Amino acid sequence: MKACRCSVLSTFSVPLCLVATLLVAAAATAVPVTTPEGSVEVAARGDLLDVLALLRLTGAEVGFAPAAGSFTATLADLEVQFTPGSSLAVAGGRLLDLPGPLRQMGDSVFGSFATAAALVAPLGWSLGGPPAAPVLSKTTARERLILTVVRAESGVMVVVSGTARRPRVSSSASAVTLQFTAPIELGAALPLADELRGAELGEDSITLRLAPDQEMASSYPLEDPPRFVIRLQKAQPVVPMVQQPQGPVIVLDPGHGGEDLGAQSPTGAAEKDIVLAVARGVAARLQVAGITARLTRERDELVGLAERTAVANRLQAAAFVSIHVNASPARSARGAETYYMSADPSDTQAAQSAARENVGASEDALQLILWDLAYVANLNSSARLAHTIQERLNALQGIKDRGVRQAPFVVLTGATMPSALVELGFISNPEEANRLQDATVQDQLASVLAEAIAEFVRTPSLDIASPPAGTP
Amino acid sequence: MTPTPAGPQPKARRLAPSGLATGLRWLPVALVFGLAVAAPGCARRRPSAPPAMPTAVVASQETTTLVLFFVGEHGLLRREPREVAELPSGTQARVHLVLDELLGGSHSGLASPIPWAVSVQTVFADRKGQVFVDFSSPSQPSIAGTSAELAFVYSIVNSVVANCPGVVGVQLLFGGKEISTLGNLDLRRPLAPNLDVVEP
Repeated sequence: MKACRCSVLSTFSVPLCLVATLLVAAAATAVPVTTPEGSVEVAARGDLLDVLALLRLTGAEVGFAPAAGSFTATLADLEVQFTPGSSLAVAGGRLLDLPGPLRQMGDSVFGSFATAAALVAPLGWSLGGPPAAPVLSKTTARERLILTVVRAESGVMVVVSGTARRPRVSSSASAVTLQFTAPIELGAALPLADELRGAELGEDSITLRLAPDQEMASSYPLEDPPRFVIRLQKAQPVVPMVQQPQGPVIVLDPGHGGEDLGAQSPTGAAEKDIVLAVARGVAARLQVAGITARLTRERDELVGLAERTAVANRLQAAAFVSIHVNASPARSARGAETYYMSADPSDTQAAQSAARENVGASEDALQLILWDLAYVANLNSSARLAHTIQERLNALQGIKDRGVRQAPFVVLTGATMPSALVELGFISNPEEANRLQDATVQDQLASVLAEAIAEFVRTPSLDIASPPAGTP
Repeated sequence: MTPTPAGPQPKARRLAPSGLATGLRWLPVALVFGLAVAAPGCARRRPSAPPAMPTAVVASQETTTLVLFFVGEHGLLRREPREVAELPSGTQARVHLVLDELLGGSHSGLASPIPWAVSVQTVFADRKGQVFVDFSSPSQPSIAGTSAELAFVYSIVNSVVANCPGVVGVQLLFGGKEISTLGNLDLRRPLAPNLDVVEP
């Protein structure tokens, strides 16, 4: 331990000297870490461990990217990236919340015992034992999952606890499969519930067999502690073939609803009411034209974004049109615009992922190629749908043409058919807000939207592929 | 291996513009703005005065023009040049600087795309050019209006990508957590810049 020289701090000599002594002492410590190869001393600063040294003990190669300011530890095909000063890391392409921040001291990076354990875990290693004498070992233990069934007003939920890993979820009519990135086992018997018929446990996956009248409504992670929830719902009755609507089905999606008012006018008019009125008008006109139209919400109720596209996917709709009114910080902004899915590569992946989750499709190469083809075809068809809608809107008097744009909206990502999101005008603009609340204007908007959709449906498509076999 | 210091660098000194000279200096910047977004990290750097001093001092007198995105009167994003002192070289520090300037508001009277008081808590970059920006928790669960939501998200994404070499996408986090959306946009992954929501 270094001697503390406090002569220049004589006024505060006792307390400062003590603090300085403790700091120097903290800087000088090391802890013995037990590894499969034997005991190795790793530098420590107080309760903090040298995480770079620990990562190297796993056999990982640790590199530093000066431009990004981040470190990367690579072990075979596993990788974890982290940045000093942050408590975030990326492991296997996923964001990882570390228990505490990493601190750079000299040429190394220090973190708490828990943080170090979280960093080595994605590489297949675990850090156990007491923090004063950690044990670094290769992960062999399976993660013990506990499944519980919770009943709530919104439905039955299967809650998976015992792992912080977020599984990939795929579902079919009678099963939900959770695919993890590490070996798993069940820590307790499958709970008894009418909604579950059993489970099949794989090396790193579990498939829940559902009762015939059940299907997965949604899935999502929870935190503190980490859990994963599968929400079930009564399966939508299968419409007998004789009752299948003749011709194409169009799904119209009036945005927002219920407690989600959407945008509001300066006088308090709500987007949710305007778009529901217009969507009803469109549906009525399409029905008259012989085209079956369904709404994602028939009344003033809150419907989740994923559920909106799920309706369209389930009905194998020919098109999905989400109807909104706009708002902007620029009060003078006005006009109508139409969006379709962007072609950004990450959106393509998102669409593929959403599509797979929607239909429980397998991930084999042929299936992915077919999905790529279907995605491109849908993108082209979506562009045609958006342009058709915008051109019809532009023909209305008093509408300013804001054009057709692309953006990665959730409702468009999840749709497996041509889809568009139309903004009928700016409710944040007082003049347009008044117009949008006018029943006559709403009728006009509904008419042109119905005409555009009918034109889209009846125009022979030049947009190649249809979705692959098995797509609903 | 020589790690650079982590965390934000001290905020760059803002140099006062000087009338016509400043206007002329912005002209080439305006011409290459599209390229600045399409080719990430093309922030232009020009000396503000002839190099008449030793190199180190000249470097300290250089200014750099950032490209920031605010809301024009029609609701689309509009580019605003912003002169700052020498940019820090590290991605994190540079992202902090860009966002400090963006959150500080427009200098030319454009509307702010930021609907609530928000601060940058952490910036994290991975090796693939994706940047994760953790903002303080939003005061509202969503942003009303697609244009308002697009303006908020892409003012940040476009500004960061336009000014930070090597950055190709930005994911917005709030309160240290990933969120799925602030209304309609899918925020579950890093977003590439979007010129569709920018004035031509």
